[in-house]
Amino acid sequence: MVHISDGILAPWLWGSGWVITAAILAYTLSKMKIDDVPKISVITAAVFVASLIHFQAGPTSVHLVLSGFAGVTLGILAYPCIFIAVVMQAFLFQHGGVTTIGINAVNMGVPALISFLIFKAGMKLNIGISKNEILFGAIAGGTAVALAVLLLAIELLVIGEEFTEVTTFVVAAHIPVILAEAIFTGVIAGFFATVKPEMLSIKR
Amino acid sequence: MISEIDIYAGLSSPIHRWDPRLKVISIIALIFSIMLLYDLKLVIISMLFAIILVYISRIPFSFVVGRLKWVFLFMMPFLIILPFTFIGEGDEIANIGSITLNFRGIESVEFAVMIVIKALTSVMLIFPMIGTSRMDITIKALEDLHIPNKLVQMLAFTYRYIFVLSNEFVQMERSLTSRGFKRGSNLYTITTLSKAIATLFVMSYEQAERVFYAMRSKGYSGKITTMHEFTLRPQDWFYTVVVCGFAIFVQVAVWYSTLEGT
Repeated sequence: MVHISDGILAPWLWGSGWVITAAILAYTLSKMKIDDVPKISVITAAVFVASLIHFQAGPTSVHLVLSGFAGVTLGILAYPCIFIAVVMQAFLFQHGGVTTIGINAVNMGVPALISFLIFKAGMKLNIGISKNEILFGAIAGGTAVALAVLLLAIELLVIGEEFTEVTTFVVAAHIPVILAEAIFTGVIAGFFATVKPEMLSIKR
Repeated sequence: MISEIDIYAGLSSPIHRWDPRLKVISIIALIFSIMLLYDLKLVIISMLFAIILVYISRIPFSFVVGRLKWVFLFMMPFLIILPFTFIGEGDEIANIGSITLNFRGIESVEFAVMIVIKALTSVMLIFPMIGTSRMDITIKALEDLHIPNKLVQMLAFTYRYIFVLSNEFVQMERSLTSRGFKRGSNLYTITTLSKAIATLFVMSYEQAERVFYAMRSKGYSGKITTMHEFTLRPQDWFYTVVVCGFAIFVQVAVWYSTLEGT
């Protein structure tokens, strides 16, 4: 799973996770209006429910992350969304640890923000109604997970090269997820473009 | 589909009666303290303390263990791979094709075990912390603890919508099957599922908006209102002191052992 449990990462690492998360949260929450609460909550609930969809990838099971989807629909508010989703997954479902909430939010939230920027840039080009959204939604979706896995891999390796085998294993298990999320986010973005454009963070 | 963490909030135990605000703060402090431990003996003692807390809270162990299974599953790769790769050179014990397994010694097994016990302990403590109060009361406790209001509102709404969405997801699967849809490992499956899920999102979003504006029109101001009043009694402080005391105790124990030298 892309989020990591307690006890594995070193304290300075999960400590910095908290510091970074607090900073980004402070900024993004200041940009949030009370009227955004329903939309963000529904998307957050979706991210949460999606994490329950497991699929077998070799000896372990992985689940959809949907951070790219959050980036595409919420823009910078994807960060509080991912943060709350991580908090709830840790407390309600015991996916991921409590001390690692900060670093998990960074691992999945920052790629969500980056994928939003990619989507935003992509929307400036104009390939065609909904084809634009599908393509860049897909790129956003795939990148969000790929970056998240990359960050996690770097963090595991920082603890020591002894973690190399475990890291390779975790990375390999997530490759099908990257693919699935790219397709999923692309299709959904295209759907929203035609059916309910206001759900996307960037409207034409 | 999702069994709620506060399903046993209706039971009666000292932990249930512990003021939710102090309960949350103390157990979070405990979790952080235990995660800072790197001594196997102290970690095991902490796990025993956690087990005692769960026992006092009367939450059935079967429920806790059922959830711990998932954590253990996630930790399995670490437990199996680490002893063979962590800490220095080791004795070669097997040679499978091009992969050489080096057993790195008992310390690496201890380290792997310690990591697993820490993860399990932290999860175990979540049960007395939020499994002993109704979720809306816990959320009100967070508001009282000055967690930013926007986050508290998000927690409250998101919690409700998790159950709405998962029910609708189950219904959606049923209607797909009733129209002859079969899950396969192909592009068609994933695009169909994606579009169905997208429809779900649109409906949920519209519903959430309607609910929110209805709440606003009835005077919702963002403050969590339940009938439950928070009061502090001496028993609350007793448990706070015991739990925080233990959290401090293990850190002192670490510091003390570094004084004496390794």
